[in-house]
Amino acid sequence: MGSHTTHSACETTTVDLTNVKPYGDTMNDGMMQLSFTLPVPYGEEANEAAKILARKMGLDEPAVVFSKDMVGFTYFVLYGKCQHTVDYSTIKVTKVEVDVMDRLECEKYITENIKRPVVIVGACSGTDAHTVGIDAIMNMKGFHEHFGLERYHGIEAVNMGSQVPNEVLIAKAIEVNADAILVSQIVTQKDVHIANLTNLAELMEAEGIRDKVILICGGPRISHELAQELGYDAGFGAHTYAEDVASFILTEIVKRKMV
Amino acid sequence: MGLLSQLKQKYKTLSIVGMAKNAGKTTALNYLIEEAMDDGVVLGITSTGRDGESCDLVTGTDKPRVFLDTGTIVSVPVKLYDMAEAGLEILCMTNYSTALGQIMLCRVAESGYVQIAGPVNTKDHKKMCGEMLAYGAEIILIDGAVDRKSIAAPDTSDAIILSTGAVLSRSMKKVVEETVHIVGLYQLPELEKGNVRELILAGQKRERIMLIKGERVELLDLKTGLSAGKFLDEAIDEDTEYIYIPGALTSSVISDIHPTKLKQVQFILKDPTKIFIDAMHWQQLRKKGFTAKVLENITVAALTVNPHAPAGYSFEHEALLKAMRSVIDGIPVIDVKLGGGVQ
Repeated sequence: MGSHTTHSACETTTVDLTNVKPYGDTMNDGMMQLSFTLPVPYGEEANEAAKILARKMGLDEPAVVFSKDMVGFTYFVLYGKCQHTVDYSTIKVTKVEVDVMDRLECEKYITENIKRPVVIVGACSGTDAHTVGIDAIMNMKGFHEHFGLERYHGIEAVNMGSQVPNEVLIAKAIEVNADAILVSQIVTQKDVHIANLTNLAELMEAEGIRDKVILICGGPRISHELAQELGYDAGFGAHTYAEDVASFILTEIVKRKMV
Repeated sequence: MGLLSQLKQKYKTLSIVGMAKNAGKTTALNYLIEEAMDDGVVLGITSTGRDGESCDLVTGTDKPRVFLDTGTIVSVPVKLYDMAEAGLEILCMTNYSTALGQIMLCRVAESGYVQIAGPVNTKDHKKMCGEMLAYGAEIILIDGAVDRKSIAAPDTSDAIILSTGAVLSRSMKKVVEETVHIVGLYQLPELEKGNVRELILAGQKRERIMLIKGERVELLDLKTGLSAGKFLDEAIDEDTEYIYIPGALTSSVISDIHPTKLKQVQFILKDPTKIFIDAMHWQQLRKKGFTAKVLENITVAALTVNPHAPAGYSFEHEALLKAMRSVIDGIPVIDVKLGGGVQ
C-alpha cells in the first residue's frame, strides 16, 4: 500500500465517524479486496462476470488483480471502491458486562465468596461435531495461552464432547448438580443452531431446572442479543476465553445467591 | 366488542405463542394493542425474548415494530431503554437480570415505539406479571420468542394465543396438521378428580417419577426421565396403572418401554408443554395404544393465522382461514393482517 496523502478532491484525510468507509491506501478511498469463486470457466468472460457482480455489490472501479483456473470454476481476487458508508456513532452492541477476573482471581473469588466447588457442564450439542470452541474454553491446556476451566481450582469442569443430544446433556447436568451449562454451536447451516439451542432451553424449562442453572451459549455466530432471544443467560462470540466465561458464571452465582 | 375486550373479561395474563419463528406473534400483539387503544384498556406488555427491533436477529428480515399507547405498563431492560422512541416513566428496577441488562418496569408517558424484553425463564416471568398487575395493568400480554412454547404453561399465563402461519410449510395441509397437533396437545384431557389425582398432587412436590399401583405409590429413584427409558421399562410391572412424569416427555423417555406396557399404563404429565413429540410420532404412539392425560391443560383463547412466509410464498387469506376454521372447534381463528373476522 502507498502513501497516506489524499489523491482526490472529494476524499478527506480525516475520519468522519458518521460516514465510515473502508481504508485502502488513503483515508476514505473506500478500497476493498474481495476473494471469491464463480462456477464459470476461466477466461475474459469470467473476469467480466466478477466485475459486474462487484458493481452490483456497490463497488466502483472493480479490478480483477488475480484469477485462477479451477477447472470449470474460476477463483478471483478483486479490488474495488466501496460506495457505502457506515454511521459508526450510532452503533450499539450489547455485550456481556462483567469485570473479567484472571484465573487466579477467579480461584480466589471461589474460595472467598462461593466456598464450594462450582460445577460446569459443557458440550457441543445436537449434530455439531466441532469441539474447537468448547475445548478452547474447557480443556486444561486452553487456547492462546489462556488456560481452560479444567485447570481452575474450585471448578469441576465436565466436557461431554461433541454431538451430545440435548437430553443427555440435561440428564448429566441434573446428575452432577451443575451450576452452569455451556453449549457450543459452530455449525450454523440453515440455522440449525437456533432450533437446537431453543430446544435445549425448552427442555430445561420442562424439566424444571431452567431457573436453577446458568445457561450459556457460545460460537462464532452467537451474540449476547441472540442469547436473550433464545432464552439464555449469556452468549459469547469469537475471541472469548475461559476467564470471560468463568467470571460471568462466578459473579452470577453470587448475584443469584446460588452459593 | 373486539377480541381483546372479550379476553379481558376472562383472563389476566395471555401468552402469545408461536408455532414457529415468523408465524406472526408480533403482528398478533400489535393487533391486540390496537384494539386496546380503541377500547381504552390499560395493557401490560412483556416478552420472553425481545420485541420491537426493526430487523430480525436470526433471519435478517424486517420485523414489525411495537407502538405503545400512553399508560401502558411495559418491561424494558436497561440497555434497550435508550432506544425507546416513546417517553417512558420508570416505575421500578426489578431484580430480574437478562442478557440485555436489569429489567425495569415502565409506564408509557408519551406514546411511541418501544423495544421490549423480559426475563428469560418462566418462573421469573410469572412473578413479574404480578408486579405489572399491581401497577394497574388490566391484562398482560406476554409475547413469545422464536418457537419457544414453555410460556404456554398454565403456570405462567391464564390462556394463550397461538400464532401459526405459512412459515411452517409450503403445504397448507401440513400447516393445518401441525397446528391441529399442537392445539390437540394443549387440550389433552385433564386427569379427573379422584384418588389418583389426589395421590399425584400429594407427591408432586418431590418432583420424582411416580408409579401408581392401586392405592400404592412408588417413587422412582431417578432425577430425570430423560434417557432413562430402559429404567422405566423395568420399573413398570403388571400392577402399574399410572405413571406420572414431572419433567419432559421425549422419545428417549418412552422409546424403550415395551409396547404392552405402553398400552397398559396411563401416562400423566404436569401440563402439555412437557411434551416434545412431533405430530407424526404422536400418531404412531397413539396407534400403539399410548394414552396421556395432564394435571392441567392449556386454554387456547384464540388462533391467529398468517398466510405470508418470509421466504416469499403465501396462501390465499380466505383459503387458510377456511381450512383452519373447518378443523378447529370452539376457538376463534383470526387473520390478524385482514383484521376483524372474529366469528
